[in-house]
Amino acid sequence: MMGGNVNLKTNFVDGLKKFTKKWEFVLLLILLAEFAIFGAANFEKFFRITSIFSSITNFISICIISLFVTFVMITGGIDIQASSIVGLTSIVIGVLWSDAGLNIWTAVLLAIVTAGICGALSGFFVAYCGVQPMVVTLGGSFLFSGLALLISGLSKTPAYQGISGFPGKNELGEFISFRALGKMLVFDLIPIQIIIYVALIVITYLMLHKSRYGRRVFLVGVNRQAAEYSGINSRWIIMSTYILTGIGAAIAGVLLTANVDSAKYNLGSTFTLSIITAVVLGGTLSTGGKGSITGTALAAIIICILRYGLPLCFGISNQNLDLPIGIMLVVVVALRAYFAQGKRPVFRRKEKDCAVPK
Amino acid sequence: MRMLKSILKVRWLSSLAFLAVMFIITGLINPDFFTYSNIIECFNSSVVFTLLAVGVAFVIMTGEIDVSIGSTMGLAAAIAGMLAQRGESWALMIVYSIIIGLLIGLVNGYGVAVLGVPSLIFTLGTTGIVRGLVYVFSGGKTTENFAGSFTNFGSQTLFGQITIYYTIVLVIVIITHLLLTQTRSGKYFIAVGDNVGGATLIGIPVTATKIVAYVLCGIFAAISGVAFASKYGQVNIVAGAGYEMSAIAACVLGGISLSGGLGNIAGAAIGAVIMSTISRLLVFIGLSSDFDNTIKGVMLITIVVVDALMQRRSAEAARRERLVARASGSAR
Repeated sequence: MMGGNVNLKTNFVDGLKKFTKKWEFVLLLILLAEFAIFGAANFEKFFRITSIFSSITNFISICIISLFVTFVMITGGIDIQASSIVGLTSIVIGVLWSDAGLNIWTAVLLAIVTAGICGALSGFFVAYCGVQPMVVTLGGSFLFSGLALLISGLSKTPAYQGISGFPGKNELGEFISFRALGKMLVFDLIPIQIIIYVALIVITYLMLHKSRYGRRVFLVGVNRQAAEYSGINSRWIIMSTYILTGIGAAIAGVLLTANVDSAKYNLGSTFTLSIITAVVLGGTLSTGGKGSITGTALAAIIICILRYGLPLCFGISNQNLDLPIGIMLVVVVALRAYFAQGKRPVFRRKEKDCAVPK
Repeated sequence: MRMLKSILKVRWLSSLAFLAVMFIITGLINPDFFTYSNIIECFNSSVVFTLLAVGVAFVIMTGEIDVSIGSTMGLAAAIAGMLAQRGESWALMIVYSIIIGLLIGLVNGYGVAVLGVPSLIFTLGTTGIVRGLVYVFSGGKTTENFAGSFTNFGSQTLFGQITIYYTIVLVIVIITHLLLTQTRSGKYFIAVGDNVGGATLIGIPVTATKIVAYVLCGIFAAISGVAFASKYGQVNIVAGAGYEMSAIAACVLGGISLSGGLGNIAGAAIGAVIMSTISRLLVFIGLSSDFDNTIKGVMLITIVVVDALMQRRSAEAARRERLVARASGSAR
């Protein structure tokens, strides 16, 4: 009994020691530092739980999509089309609901399926035709944002206006049905998006780190040939990550549409760089094979808090926020590369590129 | 037939053929398109994209990528605009933009080549920083009301309705194309992109080549900013956002491989014309410009997929040939 306890204790200490060497630990420190600095600068304004929550809600699309892009980047790919799928989902919901007269939930379901098909299309080209993921998803970002614009032309509402008036307010002024996805507060405190985000973190964590599928995703990223030889259908694994990202983007699109009560073709068009920033800051290697959901989630929250805290505590205008976030990204990745340089062979990246079967 | 095949092998020629096909299809649907000034206008209006695409082509050839060009362009455009408000001279704007491009290029090059940060990520960071600087310099306002001589300069034509801008750009494209294909150090870019290890072993200064590529890319992007300001007469704070993707797509359309080591400057210039001319052609075909992005996307995906499949086929054919040669060799 005692022995078990001691064992548990040393296990815990060992685990903690291991954790301090991990990138997630550094991220946690950065997050705590943010809280400390912003708290010191303006305690009363900063530590208002509702405004912290609403800052995350504003950023929720990027938080959610970055979780799924982590999968893609672990397989060694990249996805820059997710942000255009957000707009496509939104306009598909709007047109199906307002102009085709479908039930709102049917529209949502169809929009998510559409997004999955979009992801599958790009995934197919990447996995089965061997085209570089960057180019395919670049083409995809043009294609899907273009399609979104064309679909918005089918509606009687002008494209720039956005389709609004979604169902969801009862006589008491409470949000129900579809709008509840964007406005409801659980326990009158926590926005529903955050609950969904936490649920998605848990789901993606289990998928990536605890399931057989996740192990396969990692193996394909580390060494595709070895994965292929050990009987893994690496093409399907790669394609599936793009489908997942499409679905993730669709979820973000649904939440965003419900929140702003407007279905527009260009929702989310500016998210691309922020999504990649969150994933990379989270420690996912852009060459594949390494990354974690906790890292991505922490990094996304770090960016949220930075965007929330800087204007509030230091009076930096919202427009100027690109500057500090850019500096943070550059400094962090540069420092990481600097410290990692001693540990890695010089031509490692190129060698790995060669190892992928063409 | 053999000639056709050899033309298809020269990748930028097939891009040129593609552009010609686009023109011909447009002309068949709407014969009004086939006038000299319409076709020249397609080239004239591509100045900004051509400069951006040629710049980023250097970086892509070395196997890296630069997504900060859009904001570099925005910064240079904002600063050129501010100088134009005061009626300053052209030379000063060019000097300023070269300095801007040089500095941003050096930072990017240092991060990517010396520190070894993956290029997409590092330039993503500098994108944010440079875009932030645009806000700082312009105070968040649109820069406008330029001196008339500045905005008129772009519309002046030299010979045969070609604008001064496109003439300058054309000269730059031809010179850089020749430098890169005919000189020893010009070929370093392709060599580094094709095989970093091999390039190092035969004594090519890999780090320096990459830094030079980024510096050139920055300078080209900054100069395109001056052209942008002069062309549109006002500079928004988000000017150039999203241009980086179009420029990269232009390079791909021009036959430059994103994994590096393949392609040339002429291809990038033609790709830029294709990219910027689609919306103009749509008007002649009678479709709304809403189709612009859809068609760009379909075209880009089709081209890269066909290219990848063709390359795979030719690689397999080469392998089969080798095997056959080996088999017949051992039989003897």
